[in-house]
Amino acid sequence: MQDMNERMRELERRSRAAFDASVDSTDGATRSRLARARATATGGLKRRRIAGPAAWVPAGAAAAALAAAILWQREAADPPGVPATTAVAVEDLDIVTGGEDFDLLAEDADFVVWAAAESAGAG
Amino acid sequence: MEDDPVNRSATLDAPLSLAGAGEAREDTVDRVRALDRFLAGVERRALRIARMALRDPAEAEDAVQDAMIRLVRHYGRRPEGEWRPLFYRILGNRITDLQRRHRVRRAVFAFWSGGGEARAPDPLEAAIDPRGRPDEAIEGEELLARIATALASLSRRQREAFLLRNFEGLDIAQSAVAMGCSEGSVKTHYFRAMQALEEALPECRT
Repeated sequence: MQDMNERMRELERRSRAAFDASVDSTDGATRSRLARARATATGGLKRRRIAGPAAWVPAGAAAAALAAAILWQREAADPPGVPATTAVAVEDLDIVTGGEDFDLLAEDADFVVWAAAESAGAG
Repeated sequence: MEDDPVNRSATLDAPLSLAGAGEAREDTVDRVRALDRFLAGVERRALRIARMALRDPAEAEDAVQDAMIRLVRHYGRRPEGEWRPLFYRILGNRITDLQRRHRVRRAVFAFWSGGGEARAPDPLEAAIDPRGRPDEAIEGEELLARIATALASLSRRQREAFLLRNFEGLDIAQSAVAMGCSEGSVKTHYFRAMQALEEALPECRT
């Protein structure tokens, strides 16, 4: 007759073997869903990482183009020799190209377009 | 709250990410890779455990994904050696929440359907007598199904102790972190669980 400890060890062994076999037989569709879930979990970090300097390059180029467009519109609207507006435009350029705002630029392009239009209209 | 990694309601304000440049970014990339490797290593076992506990494949997958996201977001900065017990702690909490929700739903259903036991028939239980065929050795999925049925009759803590120690292979200390209790409690719960299962599964005595 097996004593209690031996019986428990046998139960441990057999149940673990059954569990391991069950895990090993996970079907492909389930594995695929798990991989997607994992990608979703770690993807959040990757997206955040995009906010790093390397990701600022395209956002910076877009911001520079936007700022140039604002300046060009202001130049066209303002008579020559009125430096005050140009000074405001340069200030806009600083704001638009300020590194700390690039996350916002990347995430809310609609806002940037709207803000540019508003700025051009106000000029 | 970050000092309380096992608090279910902990919302940490310093998620892994946001490296500014250079070295810090490299560290973040390494962390992401390490987390991916870790999750790939535990995901199938975690899903199997969640399925046994919840008996609902879709909910089990949701629970595992939720645990993955929470681990990455809130505990990704922790030392890699802490991830496993923390992951199972998060998963355990999620499972408990879902089980509690099921109980409430059943109670509401019982009330509106005229009282009585509103427990939905469990196809697994209907198909398998947990104490059946003591003279026959059973293996594989059938054994696992019987264990799942027997586990359902244990207390939550005993069930957790068994799943973490025996199936997931966590040691006593890791199980204590995952369960949020002392190592002594883990030993007690595990022993009681094994006693109850041994009693409920006579076919495993052979």
